[in-house]
Amino acid sequence: MSLASNVPEGDLKEKWTKRLNDINLVAPNNKRLYNVIVVGTGLAGASAAASLAELGYNVQSFCIQDSARRAHSIAAQGGINAAKNYPNDGDTIWRLFYDTIKGGDYRSRESNVYRLAEISNEIIDQAVAQGVPFAREYGGLLANRSFGGAQVSRTFYARGQTGQQLLLGAYQAFMKEIDSGKIDYYPRHEMLDLVVHNGKARGIVTRDLVSGEIRRHTADAVLLCTGGYGNAYYLSTNAKNSNVTAAWRCHKRGAYFANPCYVQIHPTCIPQSGDYQSKLTLMSESLRNDGRVWVPKDKNDERHPNDIPEEERDYYLERKYPSFGNLVPRDVASRNAKYVTDEGRGVGETGKAVYLDFADAIERRGRDYIEEKYGNLFEMYHKITDENPYERPMRIFPAVHYTMGGLWVDYNLMSNIPGLFVLGEANFSDHGGNRLGASALMQGLADGYFVIPYTLGDYLGGEDLDQVEGNEEAFEEAENYAQEHIDKLLNVEGDKTVVEFHQELGKIMWDKVGISRDEEGLKEAIKEIQELRDEFWERVRVPGESANYNKYLEFAGRVADFLELGELMAKDALHREESAGCHFREEYQTEEGEALRNDEEFSYVAAFEYQGLNGEIQHELHKENLEFEFVELKQRSYK
Amino acid sequence: MPSLVDAARSQVGRKILSGITGILLGIFIIFHLIGNLTLFGSEQAFNIYSHTLESMGIFLYLFEIGLVLVFLVHAYIGVAIWLRKRKRRPVGYEKYSSMGDPSKQTFSSRSMIFTGIILLIFTVTHVATFKYGDTQMITVDGTQMKDLKALVINTFQNPWYVIYYIVVMILLGFHLRHGAWSAFTSLTMKGGTKTSAVVYTVGTIFAVLMAVGFLFIPLYIYATGGTGALIAS
Amino acid sequence: MSNDNMQFDLKIWKQEDGDSQGAFQEYHMEGVSEDMSFLEMLDLLNEKLIKNGDEPVEFDYDCREGICGACSLVVNGIAHGPKEETPVCELYMREFEDGQEIVIEPWRAAAFPVIKDLVVDRSAFDRIMAAGGYISTKTGSAPEANTIAVDKEDADKAFDYATCIGCGACVAACPNSSASLFTGAKISHLSLLPQGKHERKERAVRMVEQMEKEGFGDCSNHAECEAVCPVGISISAIARMRKEYMRAVTES
Ligand SMILES: Cc1cc2nc3c(=O)[nH]c(=O)nc-3n(C[C@H](O)[C@H](O)[C@H](O)COP(=O)(O)OP(=O)(O)OC[C@H]3O[C@@H](n4cnc5c(N)ncnc54)[C@H](O)[C@@H]3O)c2cc1C
Ligand code: SF4
Ligand code: FES
Repeated sequence: MSLASNVPEGDLKEKWTKRLNDINLVAPNNKRLYNVIVVGTGLAGASAAASLAELGYNVQSFCIQDSARRAHSIAAQGGINAAKNYPNDGDTIWRLFYDTIKGGDYRSRESNVYRLAEISNEIIDQAVAQGVPFAREYGGLLANRSFGGAQVSRTFYARGQTGQQLLLGAYQAFMKEIDSGKIDYYPRHEMLDLVVHNGKARGIVTRDLVSGEIRRHTADAVLLCTGGYGNAYYLSTNAKNSNVTAAWRCHKRGAYFANPCYVQIHPTCIPQSGDYQSKLTLMSESLRNDGRVWVPKDKNDERHPNDIPEEERDYYLERKYPSFGNLVPRDVASRNAKYVTDEGRGVGETGKAVYLDFADAIERRGRDYIEEKYGNLFEMYHKITDENPYERPMRIFPAVHYTMGGLWVDYNLMSNIPGLFVLGEANFSDHGGNRLGASALMQGLADGYFVIPYTLGDYLGGEDLDQVEGNEEAFEEAENYAQEHIDKLLNVEGDKTVVEFHQELGKIMWDKVGISRDEEGLKEAIKEIQELRDEFWERVRVPGESANYNKYLEFAGRVADFLELGELMAKDALHREESAGCHFREEYQTEEGEALRNDEEFSYVAAFEYQGLNGEIQHELHKENLEFEFVELKQRSYK
Repeated sequence: MPSLVDAARSQVGRKILSGITGILLGIFIIFHLIGNLTLFGSEQAFNIYSHTLESMGIFLYLFEIGLVLVFLVHAYIGVAIWLRKRKRRPVGYEKYSSMGDPSKQTFSSRSMIFTGIILLIFTVTHVATFKYGDTQMITVDGTQMKDLKALVINTFQNPWYVIYYIVVMILLGFHLRHGAWSAFTSLTMKGGTKTSAVVYTVGTIFAVLMAVGFLFIPLYIYATGGTGALIAS
Repeated sequence: MSNDNMQFDLKIWKQEDGDSQGAFQEYHMEGVSEDMSFLEMLDLLNEKLIKNGDEPVEFDYDCREGICGACSLVVNGIAHGPKEETPVCELYMREFEDGQEIVIEPWRAAAFPVIKDLVVDRSAFDRIMAAGGYISTKTGSAPEANTIAVDKEDADKAFDYATCIGCGACVAACPNSSASLFTGAKISHLSLLPQGKHERKERAVRMVEQMEKEGFGDCSNHAECEAVCPVGISISAIARMRKEYMRAVTES
């Protein structure tokens, strides 16, 4: 299969309009003749399902949680970007586009990113009309704040719960269509396979997570909106149910997986406190506006932080990056935290943390100011760690947060399998090697509200699709495969738990495919993951049965997929002999220790095609070259 | 839109009706207490007061019928909610505790059905005793009237009767404590956490005043053998 | 140093599925760290059970940071446990006494039938939301965002109601199993905003009716819901719901 990115010709600013002018349309009366499956009810899935149902399509919607409203998007905190320029500080669509391309270290598609910036404003309009209670000024108009990687204030927010409020807006629009009978709703259902019939995506196979029943669902197109795969690392800021299974099974059915090694590691999370820890909690990066990051100058300094005198502290970000200081981008901050803890200068019981100190800010601006600005974050920190951050510095450490990689899609968000569209974090599209803060919400909603309604129509209007009943061979085969996979998991009856395997995988991934990578480590990781996978299939113990609610069975299936994905992530990282955005290879850095891109050889999207041969997992690499017609490639510098 | 009848039968409607009837009963209780306190007025004040009410004729009957209706509606809603409650949670908790403040869940709130039913039974016996009890006729300023005062004083010479009254009046206090808060909350249709705290406190004071006011009378009569200094004769 | 060898006697509700009878099962737990979250303590229990070849205990969760509303345990008689404004996923073992007995039960209400062990079916909440818990806005038809000004005070109030995480603790804690706080929070959020005023009457009536249809009980103003609500939704939400409802039936 070829990698036709399907980008319209012409000037960057005209591309999307041109596409809209040229697409096939489905007549209003005919829309009801089409069935569309939407997997996932996060920002991408809920907005897509609601918009398509409104247009008249018959939508079937699936999610793992007991309610659509609980999709992982609910957890997003900081905000959503748009180029409204309400603060009058000179923002434009071009600037939002440019910041996003640059923030992504020139590894994304210009045309997609420009479209995203163009659509951004409409998203805010839509959300406000739905009743999303964004922060407002006293005059009653919308407020903005600034976020990393931009010099303008373009982030709209709803306290520290922007994702929650945007998702509830989309969820409410979604519930309205359930009310009007246009959406068939399947919560507590997990997609286990994609059905490709006559070369096109024509349905899915699911497991009812309550009864355990495996079912087939037919459709004219399948939209995958299943989120990111950060949980490959076991510990991440993602919700516990976030997974790669839906995307991975599509991948095994032929969809290309693009840039799997691009993983964003967020610098300000609450550090792990013990092996039992099940998840990491993000603390908004806005904290770095007033907090100062430091570690003791000496190794293994066990004194109380307040007893360590000023001259024995190393404010390493301020020292190394005098102009950006504590506000360097996420990847730089994360990497440096790793360096100082690797040197043995980490703090806290585990030694895997650095201090984020507000003492200066409190002294300079007063406790009230800090409380007003960060009160809820301080409270959350206090709740979790039982330490009062007003009195002693916070301990923070980087954590896996977001995956820029995902299934490859063209400009229309369609994968290389006709009829399979991929939206939101699940696709690879807009963030290149690194995502800027407040841009994931923007992308998820842009995809769902304002791109897919047109591009799906284009596909359906232009295809001659035969009728499927669900008893075709492809459906039969997919259902049997799903059942066999489950039986296989249950029949190992070994002595190690799913969580133990997941933790071990996470450790390999974090140590060797994490913040910084090198050839040797990546090669080891590939080998270790392969061994762990073999061990998994010999020793895993999955309790219970398949015909009942069984959380550990669900997890087993997901961990099995992570064990395959992890290897591909390492392979991708190994093959990409450059540093770009969040992908930092020790071998490729500037003299100052910054990421060194190799635009000559690696300015492409790496799209992997799955080839499972005799139980061996193999991949063929396809390259989509990235042409930069409109921006000039530069080396990032934050000194 | 639902009709007013349907609306009254909805969850919200029921609660509003329960609040309105509750408040009407509350007002009745206030006046009842004030009336009772005439026992401590001049020698015949109580009898004159009772007689004035009785001589209102048809108006008194209308008022009484209204009162009974209000009472029944209030009781009906309470019992219906209680009966429904079991169906709403067929399997109960092994262990159940209240979280405490700002919860208003107390013995008062949980025993509304119990205190309510006792009050219902009490009301019947109370009416039987005093409205239809045996009384002498006396003449005050040339008008013939029932000597209800004597009936009251005689009745409260019986210690069991007095205990019965005191216990029920304490239960009335509990009923009013949650009832006042609840009715006010349902009817004003507003109130954040702070207003709630104020309303709840005012309601509690009201409940205590009513309970103490009512139970003081039998207690005093019994303790003083009906000849205490407060009772003029 | 934190205590990492706490012990607990757990008494947990086990129920095979919706049709079976459930019963309590007792477990003794050792080696619990005070820095573990309550759910991590249960994870640890399950790891031990699975290794022993026993059935793990099923319970619901997802975000584990207090925002998705999936977690739902009654701990020693209190929905979400003893710490105020804290869902059970953010409850830490340091809140408990070493050696203590802990009784863990599912949300109990006819409208929330048990699916397995501690997992219940809260789809009734979705159906209440479908009965008007939205503002009808066709995608693409929205006016420019700043043409709709909203008083900051109203916007802030609306926000307070909008933070409901849909967990159902209000129902679980209510002696009558009423869903008034949940329903009231959504009605209040939307009716406070100018965008939400057009459908306010129908919304209030339909959502209240749906609440009843789903089998939730009456509100008796116990206010237990406000006390257990992990995000501190005030019972003024219920007052607003009544007002919206009465306004709808009297003004039409
Ligand atoms: C703590 C945190 C804070 C964040 N803050 C911000 C922020 O401030 N600004 C910003 O822009 N971004 C932020 N992000 C990133 C952003 O939240 C996510 O990238 C985005 O919400 C993803 O949305 P989505 O719709 O693609 O997927 P998700 O919201 O992850 O939804 C996935 C959906 O797919 C379903 N699903 C998954 N697999 C299956 C399957 N096999 N079968 C059926 N259903 C399935 C799930 O049930 C769910 O409904 C944050 C992320 C985290 C973790
Ligand atoms: S009102 Fe509070 S307790 Fe009830 S569902 Fe919402 S968040 Fe949970
Ligand atoms: S698990 Fe999400 S709120 Fe508790």
